[in-house]
Amino acid sequence: MSIVQIAPFVAATVKVFKDMLETDIVKGQPEPEGDSFISRGFSVMVGLTGGWEGWFLLDMSQETACIFARAMTGEDYDTVENEEVLYAGAEIANIISGNAITTINNLQPGLNIRLAPPSVFAGQGMSMFNARLSSSSVLMESAAGPVKINVAAKEGK
Amino acid sequence: MDVKYVNPFISGLINTFQMLNMASIKRTGLAKREKLKTDNEVNIIIGMVGDLKGNVVLSLPESTARNIASTMMGGMPVPELDMMPKSALCELTNMVTGNSISQLEQMGVAVNITPPMLINGKNMVTMISQVETLVIAFSCNEGPLEMNIATE
Repeated sequence: MSIVQIAPFVAATVKVFKDMLETDIVKGQPEPEGDSFISRGFSVMVGLTGGWEGWFLLDMSQETACIFARAMTGEDYDTVENEEVLYAGAEIANIISGNAITTINNLQPGLNIRLAPPSVFAGQGMSMFNARLSSSSVLMESAAGPVKINVAAKEGK
Repeated sequence: MDVKYVNPFISGLINTFQMLNMASIKRTGLAKREKLKTDNEVNIIIGMVGDLKGNVVLSLPESTARNIASTMMGGMPVPELDMMPKSALCELTNMVTGNSISQLEQMGVAVNITPPMLINGKNMVTMISQVETLVIAFSCNEGPLEMNIATE
């Protein structure tokens, strides 16, 4: 899987943050990630099957997640143990990945990538390990703190 | 989630563990997940798309994870959870889910799965697929573990 294939996810992230959260984010350069991904503390993962098999990760600090949840619901949150913060994170990642794979599927008919529902993991010292998947990341800056996206995938059957 | 889909997951896990020389595996509980916090440091997630849509998470304490990896690697000591044992645990989850979905297929339920991803960390709060999650607890000589199933 080539590093440029993260591009639709980058474009979708910028668009969704602007439309949904009214936040401008500055995007960085794609860079290859090893088989381990170190989390900032709050990570939403969406599984990909079909033409690509792997994972999309949206990663940020727990404080950043609380700020984005507030932007969505209008309520204050101080901990990710609040269910609403997890729902907000899951929804953002779901929309970004849905947007991105629509672009990819339209450009490459027949690829037919499909998404699994999002799951959220938050904790301390978290790291994600992928066996046999090449992965790339883009670090982005927003007013609420850094946000990192990662796509780990291989060609499917 | 329809109860008739639960059994393939239970027997999928038991079959795989028995095949891998962990015949002491037995089911110890079945419950709805009530809290977001988990004490288990190691979580391996696999996504499902198709007639069943959701995620399966194998969740276990680090000690169980190391013991299982050790048994899978022929008793080699595993003092630390590095690449090799992590890879073994991912493969285990892949086998468990693969076994379960082949049983589901015999029931006429077609499911596609994503590759596994292992997440480890401390003091974790988790939400799987934004829906009610079923927790099936198991225990074996290697220690306790649980399987979380959340399908839409």
